[in-house]
Amino acid sequence: MLNQSSLSSALTVFFLGCLIASIVRYLKVKREKTRLLKELENQRSANRALKRQLAENESRLRVIIESEPELVLLQDADGKVLEMNPAGLSIAGAEIPEEIVGRSIFSIVAPEFRGSYKTLSKAVFRGEARILEFRVVGLRESVHWLEMHAFPIRNVSNCIMALTGIARDITQRKHAEEAAKRHQIELAHVTRLTTMGEMASGIAHELNQPLSAISNFADGSLRRIRRNSARQEGLIEALEQICHQADRAGHIIRHMRNFARKRDANWTQVDINTVVQEVFRFLEPEARQNCIVIRLELASEQPLVSGDFIELEQVMVNLVRNAMESIIDSTQEGREICINTTADMPKIVEVSVADNGPGVPPEVAKQLFDPFYTSKASGMGMGLSISRSIIEAHEGRLWLSQTKEDSGARFVFTLPAISAM
Amino acid sequence: MVNSKSTVFIVDDDEASSRSLRWLVESVDLNAEVFRSAAEFIDGYDPTMPGCLVLDVRMPGMSGLELQQHLRERGIELPIIFVTGHGDIPMAVRAVKAGAVDFFEKPFKQQELLDLIHKAIARDAERRYTKSRQAEAIKRLDPLTPREREVLQLIAAGNLNKVVAAKLGLSARTVEAHRASIMKKLEAKCASDLIRIAIELNIGLDEQ
Repeated sequence: MLNQSSLSSALTVFFLGCLIASIVRYLKVKREKTRLLKELENQRSANRALKRQLAENESRLRVIIESEPELVLLQDADGKVLEMNPAGLSIAGAEIPEEIVGRSIFSIVAPEFRGSYKTLSKAVFRGEARILEFRVVGLRESVHWLEMHAFPIRNVSNCIMALTGIARDITQRKHAEEAAKRHQIELAHVTRLTTMGEMASGIAHELNQPLSAISNFADGSLRRIRRNSARQEGLIEALEQICHQADRAGHIIRHMRNFARKRDANWTQVDINTVVQEVFRFLEPEARQNCIVIRLELASEQPLVSGDFIELEQVMVNLVRNAMESIIDSTQEGREICINTTADMPKIVEVSVADNGPGVPPEVAKQLFDPFYTSKASGMGMGLSISRSIIEAHEGRLWLSQTKEDSGARFVFTLPAISAM
Repeated sequence: MVNSKSTVFIVDDDEASSRSLRWLVESVDLNAEVFRSAAEFIDGYDPTMPGCLVLDVRMPGMSGLELQQHLRERGIELPIIFVTGHGDIPMAVRAVKAGAVDFFEKPFKQQELLDLIHKAIARDAERRYTKSRQAEAIKRLDPLTPREREVLQLIAAGNLNKVVAAKLGLSARTVEAHRASIMKKLEAKCASDLIRIAIELNIGLDEQ
């Protein structure tokens, strides 16, 4: 009995024990589940918040970009426009985004800038940031100047996905710059005319030499023919001289006409030595008449510069004529002007015009480059002022380099060389 | 009057100018010689050579005006015609005042220049002729005493012996004696011959 009852009580205890254990486990699991569910719920709500946050951020960014007055552009490596903000659409002349989005950016880049834009695009897709000024001809023919900052956008795996371009409309600035350039060109022209006026008597003399030689040769030939004393070889030589002297006169006139002509800027690759030689040919006779020797010291290998030949020539004419005027009155023996060109420094071409006259007094040197400042009775006082603005428009510098007062004046200008010869 | 040996000396630093002037001058059968600077001319010119100088005013080194002065200081009286490319009036005035024949501004009429060259050459030849006559006269008068020269001068001026005697405070007889001596020294055959010779030599007498 005892055994039976003890067995049953043992079983009871056992079952009870099991039951309790199960209950405990159940409770544990349930608690765990609740915790997990809660955690999940927390996470979900965090995600929701994050999404909301992201959406908010995105819409905020979008609002910023959309309302941005500058052009904002996303573009792929082939130049296909992925996105463009309304300011961009307006510059591009697009009425709806589809007119430009999905199409090539090159449909609005002005032809002369397509090359440099391609270079920029390639650089960005190599991972570089670049800046470019270029002209845009919109879909409806409106023209804008843009200054664009372009940089790459990368995805999570650090691959470049697109080019981002942010561009400012600099049309007004460009127009102002162009107007300033036009004024400078006009002023340069007017001062060239003034210079020509000052040189008129010298030029007349220069023309007189070949003209009187021509008429002497012609008259001498006629007299021989009329007197039947003409020898054919002699006549041929005289006629050749007539042709040669006519060419000489023609060259002077052509040169004068080019120098005086009103013209647009014409930038080419210029060899500064050629400019110096042309000016030498132009001014040497006048110098010789005044017993001045012009010595040329030209660099044998000279990189080219980018510029307007006539304007650079004008600067040289101004400097050499100033030098001549400063030594004409000097009683010094051996009046001399030395024109030197060097390309010692990399990427810089340097030209100097030095005379052995009395030099520039310090009080004059201070105002030398001011417009309308002149130490001469005749002359407008624009020579050095316009020369400096021409050189500065060529991204160079012009200054007076004078060590001692008695060693004469030396004017120097530098111009950036076109990279590598 | 033009001496066949007369030469037009051209001094001009401009090659075309000097060559063309030579061509022009030679077309009227004149000799021409070209110098490219004043210094070259000074070195190469023999003052006994007759002719004229065609000179450019402005040249490097010694200018035309300076050459003119240089020649004058050395007693070289070659006539000078200036040519210039500059219409420089003050310079022209200076040159002409200093004895230049004329001043031409380029381009000039060839005939005018040639006429003037001919005139200048004639002037030079005449001057040289007179000079040589003078030299000859001086040589012929050399044996005469100073008193005899005084007498001859008065005779050449057409004075009679009596007047000569009175003017010099001499007796008529003394004048007669001087006259006889002069006739002998100058190889005059008769009185009228003496007067002819005296007049011819007059220039020489004035010179002394």
